[in-house]
Amino acid sequence: MATSNPSVFLLSVNGQIQGANFPEFDHLYCKFCFVYGHDWVPTAGLEEGITQITCKGKQSPHTLIWNFPLETTFKSTNPSGWPQLVLSVYGPDVFGNDVVRGYGATHIPITPGQHTRSVPMFVPEPTWRLQKFTSWLLGRRPEYTDPKVVAHGEGREVTRVRSQGFVTVSFHIMTKDMKKLGYDVGPSGAENTPGWAAE
Amino acid sequence: MAELHIIGQIVGASGFPESSLFCKWGVHTGGAWRLLSGLKEGQTQVDIPQIGDMAYWSHPIDLHYATKGLQGWPKLHLQVWHQDSFGRSQMYGYGYCHVPSSPGHHRISCVTWRPLGSWQEQLAQMFIGGGPQLRSPDIIYSGADRYRLNTEAMGSVELELGIIMRHFDKYGVDG
Repeated sequence: MATSNPSVFLLSVNGQIQGANFPEFDHLYCKFCFVYGHDWVPTAGLEEGITQITCKGKQSPHTLIWNFPLETTFKSTNPSGWPQLVLSVYGPDVFGNDVVRGYGATHIPITPGQHTRSVPMFVPEPTWRLQKFTSWLLGRRPEYTDPKVVAHGEGREVTRVRSQGFVTVSFHIMTKDMKKLGYDVGPSGAENTPGWAAE
Repeated sequence: MAELHIIGQIVGASGFPESSLFCKWGVHTGGAWRLLSGLKEGQTQVDIPQIGDMAYWSHPIDLHYATKGLQGWPKLHLQVWHQDSFGRSQMYGYGYCHVPSSPGHHRISCVTWRPLGSWQEQLAQMFIGGGPQLRSPDIIYSGADRYRLNTEAMGSVELELGIIMRHFDKYGVDG
């Protein structure tokens, strides 16, 4: 395992998709996947998955809990293309069809330690009112053909979206051999990104 | 050559009069810097928030620079625009911030401002929108020609930036 001159570094991601805050929706499940650049390769763990379907509890009427484990390790030669976690949340509409309730993405934190992220979730918005009405009636909301587009910045100029919830994810990050390759990622430690307060 | 990675996102914006917003952004550097990979400018989607008044874009930024000197440290400049339901766009704010120069995770709130016209232009702006805009976006991140400009304060843009630096200590940079 010990190498004097490493050429790759490892990024180990342990964490969980804790839950979500969607004031207007219930009975939701979440799909996740990782998006990364050409220099990155996942070496262990799952690259994608689906959580269970959860409902709001009686004690805390706004909180949805998944408590879904994330355990993945990546190796890379270059921090460019740092992995992002892409989330898509789905739920039933009035007629029972499964529709998308939000897409979101966040970079895996770059510093070792514990981190909590509150990821805003948005849906593509139909551009005119008749389309909004027919999509509500037929249960066919606009969806992305590939949820991974939310991890890229190109081509967003023409899209209109509506943000309607948050997903809370916590990470425990470890890196190996980044210092040996000369990379300085700053002080490690716990930090919290304040987001939507869970009640 | 020392290398700098900027990995993060433009989270969103708040404090503007209306909340259906999008943002045009770009990164400006001095002559000694070379962009190795990533897009150094772009435009976010338009977000119409359902909860609260903060518009969320989550626009990813992943830039890799190589440099021979510290001058011209990268600056991120932003233009926040409002798009109404008819698709018309109105300028809501200009702002800039330096990319942090210490490695690690940073959460930055970038303040914005908007040029203020004469009282006749302000009255017209109240009724039909629009308003003066900068002829050249260089003034957003340079202080050279601002002394005659009247501006008003607008909202702020939230950024989350992770900075990774490589080989800066080999060139004698402290910290």
